[in-house]
Amino acid sequence: MTDLFRFYRQPELQNPSLIVGFSEDAGELAPKVIDYLNEKIKGESFCEIEPSEFFSLGGVAIENDVAQFPEGKFYCGERKDLVIFKGSEPRLERYQFLQTVLDVAVHHCKIKELYTISGTISSIAHTTPRSILTVFNQPEFQEKLRGYGLEDMNWEGWPALNSFLLWVAERRNIPGVSLWPVIPFYLAAVDDSKAQKMVLEFLDRRFGLGIDFSDINEAVAEQNERMAQLRTRSPEVDNYIQKLESNLTLTQEENEKLVREVEGFLRRKD
Amino acid sequence: MGIRLYEEPELENPVLIASWPGIGNIGIIAVNYLRQMVKAQEFGEIEPWDFFEPRRVLIEGGLLKELEFPSSKFFFQRTRNRDLVFFVGEQQPTETGTQYPGGRKVLEMANLVLDVALRFGCRRVYVSGAALAPVHHTARPRVWAVPNSESLVSEVKSYENAILMSDVEGRGGQGNITGLNGLLLGVAKKRGLEAVCVLGEIPIYFQGLPMIYPKASRSVLEVLTEILEIEIDFSILDKVVAQVERGIGNLEEQFYQQAPPEVAERIRDWLESFKSKPAESRPITEEDQKWIKEHIDELFKREDEGDDRPL
Repeated sequence: MTDLFRFYRQPELQNPSLIVGFSEDAGELAPKVIDYLNEKIKGESFCEIEPSEFFSLGGVAIENDVAQFPEGKFYCGERKDLVIFKGSEPRLERYQFLQTVLDVAVHHCKIKELYTISGTISSIAHTTPRSILTVFNQPEFQEKLRGYGLEDMNWEGWPALNSFLLWVAERRNIPGVSLWPVIPFYLAAVDDSKAQKMVLEFLDRRFGLGIDFSDINEAVAEQNERMAQLRTRSPEVDNYIQKLESNLTLTQEENEKLVREVEGFLRRKD
Repeated sequence: MGIRLYEEPELENPVLIASWPGIGNIGIIAVNYLRQMVKAQEFGEIEPWDFFEPRRVLIEGGLLKELEFPSSKFFFQRTRNRDLVFFVGEQQPTETGTQYPGGRKVLEMANLVLDVALRFGCRRVYVSGAALAPVHHTARPRVWAVPNSESLVSEVKSYENAILMSDVEGRGGQGNITGLNGLLLGVAKKRGLEAVCVLGEIPIYFQGLPMIYPKASRSVLEVLTEILEIEIDFSILDKVVAQVERGIGNLEEQFYQQAPPEVAERIRDWLESFKSKPAESRPITEEDQKWIKEHIDELFKREDEGDDRPL
């Protein structure tokens, strides 16, 4: 077995929190939020998880014409109280992978809290007031974050990797929360700036980051404008979104059509 | 990675009876039925997270309440003639990156099971599984018994309705037992424990079908209860056996009614050939085999894949 992680340098940190996002996410939420945060705090990678134990390396996957390679990197920047992990979801030995993430975070970074980010898809309209659903691994931590406008999640079913990570963290007595901003299903395959902004606003408030949101505000306004254009051009799309705004359910066929129209329109514009 | 024991029962020369799911769930149904009939009590488990992925999460009011993994549990019971330790695994660890049992983890699990067996003084292990055989589903399944040492051969021969591998037509004493139900025999041998694997026959044409085959579980149970000198009530199992038999019969009839006559006739002939002793079966060409394999799945295909009922 190779070493499971490799340090480039030892970062200077003080009681940091760990923010985790995996690359495969609805609306590309987690990677976008992580990249945005890294840019704001001038984050640089200081450690990476070796992929050989956690990914099948018989070749490379190609996505959007480009060859991919699994990554799992830790970042820190100007802030001594933040460590960021951005990685591909492991395909093999997931428990060992999550333990490795926490080994680095606990033994080498001395983290005190864990935050994970991922989008959750819902049958809502993009104009509907949004929320961040949350899952905590300790009630005390849940109480501590009351007042941030977070909403409690209820769910029973197949566990996401972030839920698995929360559970592993709890076994090591690390308080953690998974942040699940709600993403309209028809924006799941494209960018959802509004959901990204909600998470960033929470993190900004929680860690006092002093983020200037003007760029992301522009992105949100642009997305709203493009969606408005689409609604004007396509009465059918407008009708579907109106139904969603009125809490009505679309048929499977309508759902699929809406997804196709929105994706096609937003991508063409890109 | 470890074992968690809730209590340390005092047991006298117990035997271990173990099983994991496999083809037709023959072994695990037999072992679970026996465990329930003797009212065995749970006393420990193998911690699952190093072996398995979680399969369910429960989140209530924003709190992660439970992450559920496949279980691997130990039970014990003292019976009139001997003390029993049961191990029941809900899932077999798989080879990294595949869906098939194998690799480092199955060896680790086998060793953990035997660690507990040895800790409580077990010197004998019984494992149970399935044997794919050229038999018809209306026949009483035999039990293939595979010991892990020559010294056990004469004992195994004495079990009613059990045969050695050398008694299986065309096998010449050779074969293999895949997965943990087989591996435990080998690991037990390495660690100086006597072990016997009892495999209930299941028709080869049921291979790969998502079904249980409790008739073979009953055969396995008959052998196990004889060995262990335990009397149990088979009536609940017999009801399940009858239900599955009816299900198979109904599907067969439906298929014959709906399939094109030439397909129905060919399948009927092929299935009938399993009613004769395997050595007397009529020869079948590779082409025939291929054609029949393609159609037999249709015969026993479940209408609703999400339905957990037998067949």
